[in-house]
Amino acid sequence: MSDLKPLTALGDASARTVTHGVLTLKENNALALVSLALRRDSPEPTPFGLGLPGPGLWASSGSIAALWTGPGQWLLEAPGRAESDFAAEAAAACPGCSVTEQTDGFAAFEVRSAAGEEPILALMAKLVNLDSARFGPGTATRTGLEHMSVFVIRRAADRLAVIGMRSAAGTLWHALETTAARLAEPRA
Amino acid sequence: MLIPHPLLGPRDAQEFTYLGDAALLNRPDGMAADAQAAFNDYVYLRDNPAGVHRELWFHEQGDRSWVVVTRNTVTHEILGAELARDVALAAKAGAA
Amino acid sequence: MKFSGLRVFTEALRGHKGWKPLWRDPDPQPAYDYVIVGGGGHGLATAYYLATTFRKAKVAVLEKGWLGSGNIGRNTTIIRSNYLLPDNEPFYEFSMKLWEGLEQEFNFNAMVSQRGIVNLIHTDAQRDAYRRRGNAMLLAGADAELLDREQVRVMIPFLNFDNARFPIKGGLLQRRAGTARHDGVAWGYARGADMVGVDLIQNCEVTGFRIENGRVKGLETTRGHIGAGKVGVAVAGSTGRVMAGAGMRLPIESHVLQAFVSEGLKPTIPGVITFGAGHFYVSQSDKGGLVFGGDIDGYNSYAQRGNLPVVEDVAEGGMALMPMIGRARLLRIWGGIMDMSMDGSPIIDRTPVDGLYLNAGWCYGGFKATPASGYAFAHLLATDTPHDTARAYRLDRFQRGYVIDEKGVGAQPNLH
Ligand SMILES: Cc1cc2nc3c(=O)[nH]c(=O)nc-3n(C[C@H](O)[C@H](O)[C@H](O)COP(=O)(O)OP(=O)(O)OC[C@H]3O[C@@H](n4cnc5c(N)ncnc54)[C@H](O)[C@@H]3O)c2cc1C
Repeated sequence: MSDLKPLTALGDASARTVTHGVLTLKENNALALVSLALRRDSPEPTPFGLGLPGPGLWASSGSIAALWTGPGQWLLEAPGRAESDFAAEAAAACPGCSVTEQTDGFAAFEVRSAAGEEPILALMAKLVNLDSARFGPGTATRTGLEHMSVFVIRRAADRLAVIGMRSAAGTLWHALETTAARLAEPRA
Repeated sequence: MLIPHPLLGPRDAQEFTYLGDAALLNRPDGMAADAQAAFNDYVYLRDNPAGVHRELWFHEQGDRSWVVVTRNTVTHEILGAELARDVALAAKAGAA
Repeated sequence: MKFSGLRVFTEALRGHKGWKPLWRDPDPQPAYDYVIVGGGGHGLATAYYLATTFRKAKVAVLEKGWLGSGNIGRNTTIIRSNYLLPDNEPFYEFSMKLWEGLEQEFNFNAMVSQRGIVNLIHTDAQRDAYRRRGNAMLLAGADAELLDREQVRVMIPFLNFDNARFPIKGGLLQRRAGTARHDGVAWGYARGADMVGVDLIQNCEVTGFRIENGRVKGLETTRGHIGAGKVGVAVAGSTGRVMAGAGMRLPIESHVLQAFVSEGLKPTIPGVITFGAGHFYVSQSDKGGLVFGGDIDGYNSYAQRGNLPVVEDVAEGGMALMPMIGRARLLRIWGGIMDMSMDGSPIIDRTPVDGLYLNAGWCYGGFKATPASGYAFAHLLATDTPHDTARAYRLDRFQRGYVIDEKGVGAQPNLH
């Protein structure tokens, strides 16, 4: 008899989490994602009451959030809804737009600092070439991280999310964890 | 090099891939009588200036916009950047 | 002045007071039969073969800086004839044969060292591709051997054979390939040309052409007008700039390539090694420095210096291939300007202007071509017919649909 159990992007039975010093990394395996693109001349929707963010920004309202990914394009996030048909709901909420299921294409990791924003900025400085002074809470962008294309979201001063290709989930986790562990080592 | 992205501000040039001279926006008419010669020029020949150069960069690890960057090929100084879409639409409006 | 063991011995006894400069420093004459623009490897080799093999008199080389100040003095000195396409391989093999006799031919130590090159194989598909290339090389009279993993390990045991992503599965070896002292090559050709009467004119930048009725009559330079019967341009990365003076747009973009040298180390690397899964290649100079490099920076540049992303990329490639390189300290980094052609292959041809000839499009691989390029360009200038091995290097091949695209990436110079 086959015994089919869902695995997370990292291949585990449940979301992986690890703490190094003040930084905690957690696989966010329950995050539903859809991409949203305007068609020519279509008006900008306000899905589930959320005003879509402008270039370089991230916005959240109630149970969903969105980040700007390009002109006329966004990624919608629905925490805890990976196993529901969020794409269908989003399509209904964005009439006349192109809505595409993305949940299974990506892997999301949440980083939380127990000591304010400094450790988050230190982690960013090691991993992504983004100007942290211009990357405060409420901003998001796609960039390169160890040659992988990722979305980085500053959810709050002490919280960062990294969303990357699901097929590279292990590599991405390795990069995040190695860096967090090195930051936690006492300075010689 | 930092490319001043028109929407996102200064970004590491490493996030972009490079195509070449922005003249590549002006694709010749494939139906014109001189199409063969025009396409040879378009595909193969370049001004290749030492100095100010308008060129196409693609923000691949970014917002996936095509950007026309004006850059000095002798100093690598970047003098400006526009969305290629805006450049193309303005050219079309000018031609109409 | 001929170099010989006896000469070195007697000079040693006399306190080395009898050595003379290797070439004269003449002022330009009003006119020459043949003027070569560019005193790099190709320009000097062209002048040398014009004056020796093709017995032409009244030849000058005009160089804007000092001889060898361009790419000939900036490259990573690899010589090889391991090309695939039938339009390329016979030419590069001709060049290899000239390298093998070069030092006797021009009586100068160019430190030609046939220490071999190994192109590493990391996948089965790559093995198939290299087997095909090896066969193409054999068909053109060159040497090639396909090595398995253990044979590579015996030769170069310090590589990371079990890199999780890019394990080493073998290699394509050309034993006759190797390195040569880059500026020694320029000096050898310069001295040889000077000895048979070629005027090597330095600090003489060509700023324009005098063209009358579609025929070149002479050159405007920073040292005045110089009349010319025939003009051969071999200015590598400056090709676009110089030929714009004759009203030509070319199938060429100028890009920067960087090179790296470490501190001197004990002998470790037996020959030349190229990584097959990233942009990295390395050899060791006779002084002990590791000489290595990678890809071009990828954007148009005339700056003779590159940027940090490529430095990082090269360092990553080096660490992936031979982790012990991480212990070596970098001494110098520099850049040179490549004349990247639209198909990655060179041009040795006439131009639409009578009497004006072009030698260009060498990309990052023109050092190994120096002897054959000079020979073929001299052949073309002297006889108005292409050398047998350089027939395909036509300027109009793009228009005619006869591109020579080794990598198959199309008209995208930064990918060749
Ligand atoms: C970092 C690096 C690594 C490389 N590695 C290799 C390698 O391992 N193997 C290999 O085969 N090839 C290699 N190459 C490529 C090789 O060096 C070149 O293809 C080759 O040297 C070009 O021909 P050249 O020697 O005639 O060029 P150059 O030496 O550049 O000669 C051109 C000359 O023209 C002069 N000039 C320019 N404009 C004017 C003007 N207006 N008037 C008068 N003179 C002018 C310049 O000053 C210059 O001296 C490398 C190149 C670089 C930069």
